[in-house]
Amino acid sequence: MSTQADLSRPAGGGHDADEEAVAIARKRASEGKKAEAKLGMMLCAPAALVMVAVMAYPIAYAFWLSLFRADLRTPDQNEFVGLSNYVTVLSSPIWWTAFGVTAFITVVSVILELVLGMLLAIVMHRTIIGRGLVRTSALVPYAIVTVVAAFSWRFAWSQDLGWLAGSSAPLTDRWSSIAIIILAEVWKTVPFMALLLMAGLALVPEDLHKAAAMDGGSAWQRFWMITVPLVMPSILVAVLFRTLDAFRVFDNIFVLTSGANETSSVSMVAYNNLIRGLNLGIGSTMSVLIFITIAIIAVVFTKLFGAAAPGSDEGGRR
Amino acid sequence: MQNETGKSKLMWLVIDLIVLLYAFIPVFWIISLSLKDSATLNDGNYFPRSITFESYQQIFANNDFTRALINSIGICLIATFIALLLGTFAAYAVARLQFPGKKIIVGMSLMVSMFPQIALVTPLFRIETAVGIFDTWLGLIIPYITFAMPLAIYTLSAFFREIPWELEKAAKMDGATPFQAFRQVIAPLAMPGVFTTAILVFISCWNDFLFALSLTSTSAARTVPAAMSYFQGATTFEKPTGPIAAAAVVITIPIVIFVLLFQRRIVAGLTSGAVKG
Amino acid sequence: MAARETAAASHDRSTRRRRRARWGVACAVSAALVGGLSACASGPEGTVINLYGGASQSGFEKIIAECNAAAGGKYTIVGNLTPSDADGQREQLVRRLAAKDAGMDLLGMDVTWTAEFAEAKWIRELDQQQTQAATAGVLKPAVETAMWQDKMYAIPKHTNVQLLWYRKSLVPTPPKTWDEMIQMAQKLKADGQKTYQIGITGGQYEGYVVNINNFLNMYGATVVNEDSTQATVGDKTVEALAMMKKVASSGVTSASLSNNQEPEIFAELQNGQSAFSVNWPYVYAAMGEASPEVQKDLGFAPMPTIKAGEEPKVTLGGMNFAISQYSKHPQEAYEAAMCMRDEKHQLMHSTASGEPAVLEALYKTPEMQKVYPMADEMLKELQNASPRPVTPLYQNISTIISSTLSPPGSINPQADAQELQEKIQQAIDGKGILP
Repeated sequence: MSTQADLSRPAGGGHDADEEAVAIARKRASEGKKAEAKLGMMLCAPAALVMVAVMAYPIAYAFWLSLFRADLRTPDQNEFVGLSNYVTVLSSPIWWTAFGVTAFITVVSVILELVLGMLLAIVMHRTIIGRGLVRTSALVPYAIVTVVAAFSWRFAWSQDLGWLAGSSAPLTDRWSSIAIIILAEVWKTVPFMALLLMAGLALVPEDLHKAAAMDGGSAWQRFWMITVPLVMPSILVAVLFRTLDAFRVFDNIFVLTSGANETSSVSMVAYNNLIRGLNLGIGSTMSVLIFITIAIIAVVFTKLFGAAAPGSDEGGRR
Repeated sequence: MQNETGKSKLMWLVIDLIVLLYAFIPVFWIISLSLKDSATLNDGNYFPRSITFESYQQIFANNDFTRALINSIGICLIATFIALLLGTFAAYAVARLQFPGKKIIVGMSLMVSMFPQIALVTPLFRIETAVGIFDTWLGLIIPYITFAMPLAIYTLSAFFREIPWELEKAAKMDGATPFQAFRQVIAPLAMPGVFTTAILVFISCWNDFLFALSLTSTSAARTVPAAMSYFQGATTFEKPTGPIAAAAVVITIPIVIFVLLFQRRIVAGLTSGAVKG
Repeated sequence: MAARETAAASHDRSTRRRRRARWGVACAVSAALVGGLSACASGPEGTVINLYGGASQSGFEKIIAECNAAAGGKYTIVGNLTPSDADGQREQLVRRLAAKDAGMDLLGMDVTWTAEFAEAKWIRELDQQQTQAATAGVLKPAVETAMWQDKMYAIPKHTNVQLLWYRKSLVPTPPKTWDEMIQMAQKLKADGQKTYQIGITGGQYEGYVVNINNFLNMYGATVVNEDSTQATVGDKTVEALAMMKKVASSGVTSASLSNNQEPEIFAELQNGQSAFSVNWPYVYAAMGEASPEVQKDLGFAPMPTIKAGEEPKVTLGGMNFAISQYSKHPQEAYEAAMCMRDEKHQLMHSTASGEPAVLEALYKTPEMQKVYPMADEMLKELQNASPRPVTPLYQNISTIISSTLSPPGSINPQADAQELQEKIQQAIDGKGILP
């Protein structure tokens, strides 16, 4: 078995395997293309049905409402206003401040999470003692309910009440608030990254490392040449999902600062308009704008990483 | 050699310790809050000076909390199971098969996870009241499956694409039946991905607050994070910090058990699999 | 997080949430799904009045049970849990009312929601007879919180006002005015006292708006006219904002002022940071539990004013019962509400949970005086209190105020008043976005 594994996954990329895979794929395609298509669609149908059933109406409804002047209190007085809600939002400094804060938090926390998550994944994967203990405990931060974790951070950073603050009041200043928000985000989601990356690491054959080590590759070289390419799909998925999530950051800000000192994120602003202000038109417009922004991020991502993206026809072993 | 392993053991001990500190320093703060009494709650000490279990007694004396625990466990297990099942089908198709509409399913699942959830609450509430599943287990299970689907499809298909499927063929050539090939070769390789996904999906259901709050109205289906927001302080202006912290500690335990069970499967996937020689 | 209440002894914290009726419309469905787990074996008798809001307050179950017994089968009140914070409660009520949900009959509403809910036609106007019964003997300012455009939309349930709390050992006579209080605090600080600060809720949330509103009231300023058609920010508003800024920038407030909510200023009083604290009556009993030593040294006085000799005009808190427009049993709901706040039950509630009563006569009873040593001061403030801006757009205006004026130390009275005027007018016109 081990020889086969080695044959199929030579160090440094796996061209042979790919060619072989392509050949197999072609052959198979010509044989039963129709059967395969049918099977594929059947397998996807349940998932697709559930998603459409639950999401189609809410998403369509938000797009529709964003074109109206609409208030939840007076549902009969909705008035079609075209794109004027979009003009209002996009010309508002409130929106752009929140947008900047959100983008900053997203970029910084995802980068930190990726680096720390990779480190943690390697530790969880390779440690020789207490593996079960480390793996389980490392996941505990992710398991703590976000609102509670945020509340405990808030308490910890409150002047004289918390053990972290001492006599300073970091949550009353814009940048230290943002730093604490990022800390709370990162602490909680590094395990998410690590778990995804670790499962990717599990697919890297040990023999490959040994072989490379014998060839004189340093640990650093082995990491970049062997581990990273093989874990790439996991990295992409982890970073993509964290970015989408981080851009919608809400709970931590809501609890830690409730948006004081210009620390609102776009989701906070959308919440204030939609749920507090009951302004369905503006609130839906913001939701749609957040959606579009995230969609752009996702498209850029998948374009950048091309072959590693699920659904792309080229990559992967077949 | 002896010395070498001793050294590396020591190194890993230190590294493991760092990981544990990272994970537990803030968690112990929450535990500490749950054990403090109201006189020392605000004293700013990391460790409680005196310990009281009053907060724990309080939450377990609260029927709504225990009921919410049952709801949480039931709803999340069912949702995780179904999401994983549907997700595995779809992910296998996405990773392995050519079919029209593949891009659509991938795009669609991304879309689900891109829309701001607060914008979905009100329309979902309307659908559920119209259909009659508002404030039921089903009313939470269905959205949870939906929101878990993108993560499940993406992670699983990323793993499935990395599995050397040639092995399946090789096993068949060695005389294994298709089922044997699947069970003994492919399944062990797929397990780490499946169980990783299971853990992530379970935690995401477990921690959901927004939908648990807005799609329930009684303790028939209310889950723990929502139930916690119903905790009352002695008065409106006092936060029930102790009970909230205690509840946070209590509801983390099932997750730890869940992870403990499943992380073994992740290890098993590696050691019993075809790759390791 | 608007105003409601006081004290509760520690032991009833644990009993508070112990039992709650859990029958309901959804039971059948969930029973089918969950099998034996569902607890809806027997339904209540007669007409069910579903109460949302205020039902989980200390000792309220007993009141519900007594009223159900008194109804003799005519109706059965079912107290449903709601989130513990006012925003969460409003969110849930609004969502269900907008969907014309008939499952809610009686709504426990924060005093600031009346105009909004009435304007949206989510709650029923009381008829003349009901109005008379619901307002008899009730403190006039509390009645005003249940009115919108001269019509009565709710039954006053309980009320609340902030007091000035101070450390008797450091402050022999409580300050009469804000200027005096600032000077006293500065003197304590100059004398090297560690306990000198003025505790005040300055975080970006409703509790800060309560403080701003105190100053607006004291200067006679308003932010919106009576019909809520015009923003009315003016020179008096500028003066009020200047006062808020002065308090925040005289070196006598906590460094975390701009993040402080009630729990934080309470802790600062407990920790010996604050010599003065502007907070609700719950402080007395809560301090007895958290730190009996500090409680012994705790003095209370009416809220300081701007000029000496003025009567303080303090922001009113509290809760009212309203009847949902979509309730199928409005008459029974009304009767249930009146039972739950009749004299006997109101006294029970006020003394058990620390929600100050709306019935004026109760403040002189020995039971009330015993639980509220500050009952006389409270009554004095309550008689002269004023509601927060009465407008269907209260949530919007409150959000605008708290975000525009945050943090308190960087208020620019002139410019911020201008900004308030513009943003509030935009909100009235249905334009502009909330921060």
